[in-house]
Amino acid sequence: MLNRIAKGLMLVTGVALALPVAAAPTNAELKIGISQEFETMNPLIMTMSASAYMYRMVGRSLVNLTPEGKWVPQLAKEIPSLEKGTAKIIDEGGKKKITAVWEIVESAKWGDGKPVICEDFITSRMIATSPTVSVGEKEQWTQVEKIEIDPKNPKKCTFKYEKAKWDFYQLAQFFPVPTHLEKPIFDKYNKQKEGYEKNSNYVRAATNPGLYNGPYVISEVKLGSHVSFSPNPYFYGKKPNIQKIIVKLIPNTGTMEANLRSGTIDMISTLGLDFDQALAFDKKAKAEKLAYDVHFVPSVTYEHIDLKLDNPVLKDVRVRKALVYSINREDLVKALFEGKQQVAIHNVSPKDPWYTADPGMITLYRYSKREAGKLLDEAGWKMGADGYRAKDGKRLSLNFQTTAGNKTRELVQVYLQNQWKQAGIEVLVKNEPARVFFGDTMSKRKFEGLALFAWVSSPENSPRSTVSGKAIPTAANGWSGQNFHGWSNPQVEKNLDALDLEFDAKKRAALVHQILKAYTDEVPVVPLYYRSDISVTPKSLKNYKMSGHQFYETNNVEDWNLN
Amino acid sequence: MTTFITRRILQTLAVIVILSYVCYYLMSLMPGDPVDMMVASNPKITAEDVQRLKALYGLDQPVYKRFGNWVGSISQGDLGYSRTYRVPVQELMGPRLWNTFILSIASLTLSLLIAIPLGVISALKPGSRTDYVVNLFSFAGISIPSFWLAIVLIIIFAVKIPLLPAGGTQTIGGEPLGFWADLADRSVYLVLPVLSLSIQQIGRFSRFTRSAMLEAMRNDFIRTARAKGLSRSRVIWKHAFRNALIPLITILALSFSGLFSGAILTETVFAYQGVGKLVYDSIIQNDYNVAMISFVISVSMVLLMNLVADIAYGFADPRISYQ
Repeated sequence: MLNRIAKGLMLVTGVALALPVAAAPTNAELKIGISQEFETMNPLIMTMSASAYMYRMVGRSLVNLTPEGKWVPQLAKEIPSLEKGTAKIIDEGGKKKITAVWEIVESAKWGDGKPVICEDFITSRMIATSPTVSVGEKEQWTQVEKIEIDPKNPKKCTFKYEKAKWDFYQLAQFFPVPTHLEKPIFDKYNKQKEGYEKNSNYVRAATNPGLYNGPYVISEVKLGSHVSFSPNPYFYGKKPNIQKIIVKLIPNTGTMEANLRSGTIDMISTLGLDFDQALAFDKKAKAEKLAYDVHFVPSVTYEHIDLKLDNPVLKDVRVRKALVYSINREDLVKALFEGKQQVAIHNVSPKDPWYTADPGMITLYRYSKREAGKLLDEAGWKMGADGYRAKDGKRLSLNFQTTAGNKTRELVQVYLQNQWKQAGIEVLVKNEPARVFFGDTMSKRKFEGLALFAWVSSPENSPRSTVSGKAIPTAANGWSGQNFHGWSNPQVEKNLDALDLEFDAKKRAALVHQILKAYTDEVPVVPLYYRSDISVTPKSLKNYKMSGHQFYETNNVEDWNLN
Repeated sequence: MTTFITRRILQTLAVIVILSYVCYYLMSLMPGDPVDMMVASNPKITAEDVQRLKALYGLDQPVYKRFGNWVGSISQGDLGYSRTYRVPVQELMGPRLWNTFILSIASLTLSLLIAIPLGVISALKPGSRTDYVVNLFSFAGISIPSFWLAIVLIIIFAVKIPLLPAGGTQTIGGEPLGFWADLADRSVYLVLPVLSLSIQQIGRFSRFTRSAMLEAMRNDFIRTARAKGLSRSRVIWKHAFRNALIPLITILALSFSGLFSGAILTETVFAYQGVGKLVYDSIIQNDYNVAMISFVISVSMVLLMNLVADIAYGFADPRISYQ
């Protein structure tokens, strides 16, 4: 009996090993795996990254940021500018404002053949600024004070901005919605709390092609499962090559690889694998000569440690500097990430035109245990016989928090804890679930020492929300703002205000570099590394370009080709 | 009997209302409300935005008022709106509850169909080779974590021997081929999750059945029944098994009460579109309306199935009466 079972098992194993892997995908269909949940794709209220990833396949905005970091027109014919005279600074009651003329591409149409017109932007603005609609950040809509349509051309309009800011043209999230479909819903339900959101076509009739103006339209949506896309016959740009795209939710990243290898999915999006899983799969793909490419692209995500400056120990800048000097970040990224993520020196990533590594402009900290020891000695923290530093009989001890269960961060913590121990600094790890960490500890500034997490920004984005003294969360401001460390510098405040109004790109960069100088001098934050975005694609996929910023690769989905 | 059932239903309703408030209150104690979470993920949200959103969501009201509003909406048939997924709760939960029910009932049925005969056979021949094999299988089933088994099943049956899909609920994007073809398609996607859930349940149920049957077979009335010359199958199924049913009914009632709660690990590993992960996410993200509806369903099912169990005891054992 046992012999028979053993033979049976051997036969099954033999058959298993002999079977081929899944067939290569073609332009007929591409199945993409994501591990993050998505919501309904109403561009005015969606907040999830997975929804934004998918929306870029079906919806286009006036402008777009290329993977190279350049703003280019998308639905607009061109980007208005002061130089060309298509934008003007005006004075209204002593207040400087901007007017800009936008013209929508002639052939831009919704998926039902109706033209995309300026009225669609007015409808978007009206819905998004309604008090009954739960749009998170209103400023992106209220920054445009008024939209006036050219009476002769419904595709041409003048936007009046409430402030004369240099980045007035960066309206990538200012998505239009089809007036002919969404305005009647809004008119009917706008008096009810969240009435529009509940009854919008994006919820009730999400497969109506008239809701979308991108290269694809949505043909099927199952929340928690998948979204199917088919080409939009009225798309104004290049016809997409792939006839059907399915984005499939696989919530367990551990089974993502099995799904890929079994052919359940053909590729893994940037919202799929964890970094360590990608590293392991990369090795496996090379060793087994699998027909997949694993992409690692530097991104604008900045992994760092916020230092609570109210902490009496961390108030002393020498201690903060010693914390940076005593960790070998080059070694960290080599050991943990095989060099596939870059060491961070400040909060502006190398993807950003404002990035600088010039030691003449910012303060750089190379790993130096000696320098760390010197600074700590100067600050009065003397090395004790137990291997830890102490002052006035009190040990140099700090609490270190991050999101519990995040394997990469927990590894980084252990690595840093060990290095700080060598410098005589005791670091106690007190992690919390992400829900508590972000929902309470950080947002209400309850952390006591060090807090490890990441910021996602975009190129040429003002760092105001994380470095301005006005952005320190307090009960009085409803705990808004994300200057959790509590750093405040009068010169930085001035530069932040000047930055918004500076139209000269070189002068803007100079202002940012001054901010970075103060940031690296005063060390409110320990920069660790800039994260890389990861994805896995079939080798046959051409024209696939990852951006590394929030304008996902789906922005040029029409160029993807599997032939 | 009618009085008993009416009284129990009224008690059940009262317990649901009380527990709902307790749950609502406990959720409100969780750090960070939905607006706090929004602020944490978007640096550009201003103090004015926070104030406006809190008023819109009613988060500026005391908990008892919010609970009152929620109960008011529920009594009018409005289950509310999921702020995470931006859809009405009934539209979000309906299909998922159905999927979870299918998965749970399929695995429960399969488990019972296998476990009860195994338990009975094992109890009838205690200490035999069959008993040892059944026990080994049962303990192995109980001990193997279902998520681990799920991953192993995927590797074997989806990657190495690509016979079954690695995950999902049904084939995506295919044209509807009619009821039977769709049923067959869905069944294929159920095989691995059902298997992964059932193996543990089979182990548990067969152990309970074995123990209850062993106890029942030792009774005097079994000896009497045999002495009366009744057939073996009549002694086993009519006399012994009926008496062994009382503990089994309790276990079954508890298992049935979880039919709509979802198997979070299995559903997540197999990317099965059930309610388990949805409920977990809704609690984590403070999506009150979704979390509360799932809580009410869970509580109602537990209470209802306990009532059903109490009634079933009377049928299994006529000595039990309801007063």
